[in-house]
Amino acid sequence: MYRYDEFDEALVRERAAQFRGQVARRLSGALKEDAFKPLRLMNGVYLQLHAYMLRVAIPYGQLDPAKLRQLAMIADRYDKGYGHFTTRQNIQYNWIRLADMPDVLDALADVEMHAIQTSGNCIRNVTSDHLAGAAADEIEDPRPWCEIIRQWSTLHPEFSFLPRKFKIAVTAAETDRAAVRVHDIGLHIRRNGDGEIGFEVIVGGGQGRTPHVGVTIRDWIAKAELLSYLEAIMRVYNRFGRRDNKYKARIKILVNELGPEAFAEAVDTEYAAQGVHEAVLLPQGEIDRITEYFASPDLPERPARSVTFEAARAADPALDRWARVNLRRHRTPGYTSAYISLKSQGEAPGDMTGDQMRVAADIAEQFGFGDIRVAHEQDLVLPHLAIDDLPEVHRRLRDAGLAASNAGLASDLIACPGLDYCNLSNARSISVGNAIQAVFEDPEFEERVGPLHINISGCINACGHHHVGHIGVLGVDKKGEEYYQITFGGRADEKAAIGDIIGPALKGDDVAPALRRVIAAYLDLRKGPGEKFIDAYTRLGPAPFKEALYAVD
Amino acid sequence: MPLIKGGAPVSCSRRFFADEETPPDPNDAIVSLGRLVAAGGDVFRSVRLMPADDPLALAPHIRRLDLIEIAFPGFRDGRGFSAAQLLRRRLGYTGELRAVGQVLRDQVFFMARSGFDAFLIDDPHAEEIVAAALSEFTVAYQSAADDTRTIWERRWNARPAHTRRDDR
Amino acid sequence: MSSARPRLAPETPKMVTAWDTATGRTVYMTPSREWSVNIADGAVLVGAAADDALAFAASDEGRATDPYVMQVSPLGEIDGREIIRETIRAVGPTNHPMFGKQAGNP
Repeated sequence: MYRYDEFDEALVRERAAQFRGQVARRLSGALKEDAFKPLRLMNGVYLQLHAYMLRVAIPYGQLDPAKLRQLAMIADRYDKGYGHFTTRQNIQYNWIRLADMPDVLDALADVEMHAIQTSGNCIRNVTSDHLAGAAADEIEDPRPWCEIIRQWSTLHPEFSFLPRKFKIAVTAAETDRAAVRVHDIGLHIRRNGDGEIGFEVIVGGGQGRTPHVGVTIRDWIAKAELLSYLEAIMRVYNRFGRRDNKYKARIKILVNELGPEAFAEAVDTEYAAQGVHEAVLLPQGEIDRITEYFASPDLPERPARSVTFEAARAADPALDRWARVNLRRHRTPGYTSAYISLKSQGEAPGDMTGDQMRVAADIAEQFGFGDIRVAHEQDLVLPHLAIDDLPEVHRRLRDAGLAASNAGLASDLIACPGLDYCNLSNARSISVGNAIQAVFEDPEFEERVGPLHINISGCINACGHHHVGHIGVLGVDKKGEEYYQITFGGRADEKAAIGDIIGPALKGDDVAPALRRVIAAYLDLRKGPGEKFIDAYTRLGPAPFKEALYAVD
Repeated sequence: MPLIKGGAPVSCSRRFFADEETPPDPNDAIVSLGRLVAAGGDVFRSVRLMPADDPLALAPHIRRLDLIEIAFPGFRDGRGFSAAQLLRRRLGYTGELRAVGQVLRDQVFFMARSGFDAFLIDDPHAEEIVAAALSEFTVAYQSAADDTRTIWERRWNARPAHTRRDDR
Repeated sequence: MSSARPRLAPETPKMVTAWDTATGRTVYMTPSREWSVNIADGAVLVGAAADDALAFAASDEGRATDPYVMQVSPLGEIDGREIIRETIRAVGPTNHPMFGKQAGNP
């Protein structure tokens, strides 16, 4: 994992000190809210329904035990004992007093963390594959490039006041777990014809009120050219992106209004015009230095098959189910990656208490080589666990209420905070999410249904990624009543697609029963247990699912 | 309105002339991009760029210019940062680059890094504002249009071999 | 204002609400133009009195941020098309009742 040196630390400390001054000016009345708002937003501070909210950056979802324990401390001391993990692999606190914000930023700086660029019209926290460095299917670890992009984009002098927010994601695996095709820029680490490793550059994806799947504007670009090429994209966007209408200001609109070919040409022209002295100077030694931090942990040799674990799972059906559902294949025999699901029945998706964070930190320290990730599905991941240790890991997770066996299944749903917390929301997300979870309360049934992504947003800003849920749920306000529009067929992976709107919105209480009917129809219609919901939908089209959605029980 | 350059207030005899006004002395007139281009190469030496103006249109005139103003209409419009970088780095402009309009304390640092060396600020404390804004950060990662040595350069020039914080 | 709120007719009873600048908590303007976290303390206003109160609130930035008027009944109960939102603001998140005002938290 990357560690700050004195320069990284100086910047974060200076930023915290700067914000302390800005908060003091606001509290003294010297700064009015209109002037303060853009400043607080650039430090991740929102004013939500009940209180100020602080969004803390977790670059590419990377945590370690010290960081997670500090997040727990902040939850306990400055919030109400919990935090909320988001689809950008960040954490949000819902109840922090403005007067406490500077102290919280200092506490974050103590563990090499910050809230820089977690909001505002700038380059936001870079996201990545939560299995990076562990997955069997990646070309190389994408995290060094995430860290390089983090550094390059931090307080960028030219690109901090863009037309709109800007999100970059990086993956290096054929199976895209980072949703790179629905980002402003998606980078897919690939080999070219000569076997050299570089980046496919995808631009103009995004969700919100005008969802788009991104388009590839460069099949491959060398690592040495990446940052200069990104600067060319950013400059074209900063100069020509629309600023007359906030809903048309994302880069996806520019890409579509110009057309992808013309946009790519504009970027290539800008890139070709860059003089040598304009290139982003990133010494090879610096790339090597950063890469070294992400070296795989020293994993002692273990037998591929663990007798201890096999015996334990045979004796404990709960462990057996957890292992079947929540584990992912590790590249090293004898090891595995495990999801810590933050989607227990009836809980707010992504919420975690300070006590639970400490449990996860202890487990990671003792069994997980100190490595913890946040997944964009709002779960945590322990990327490196010895299979031998799984019974003990599972026992501790279960004791802390963290052993929900639903990773990738229906009740592992994504939901934004919705109208319970958010000032922009039209409808509640958590309550409808909990009602949908209850449909899958029987774990046998849920496993029988198989992989299914249900994504819920409380408004069209789409923080809950409803457009790319296999089933999407969007809260809308109809004359003061909460309604939910349903979409089918979205996906965020390498076959990214925007879901189809199926028909009129449903009342809140009707959503879970309607989805229960849709699932029953799917189980009837599928070719067999191997055909996932999304594949059956692709094969059959919306008609039978629509009929089930609007049928009367 | 105080004009801060090189950390101190300075005076400037030039002023902006709208396209319909006739300046008595073209050397003292700051004009629009359209007027500058229409007048040809050797009439004016000061120009004001609006956010939508193409800074690269100044290429044929750049040697003669010694004052370019870039207008900022508000906090949200960041096109002026790209204009400044293009003028300094692409066109090699070395004259005064002045931020005018809504020149806000919390953007001055970004402006300076993008190549601005003069700030017209509607505040009697402009000098202190600029000084405070430019002292908040002592480090920067990216190369830009200013002469800050970047963190990436400092890491590799300052140290014979790289050392991690946890090695110290 | 953080987001657009419905327009209310002059004769509709309303209450001025905002966020406490230092803590961010939901607050309501009382008849003596103080701010209270308790909606029961809020003044019910109509017509020019509501406009005046909102103008005062907007000038009281050190204490209250982003004030607006919300619809209430003549008795000061939350009313109108934002009844769910304003109830959640007044009481707390429906999923975490232990964290809201309904559990006696400030």
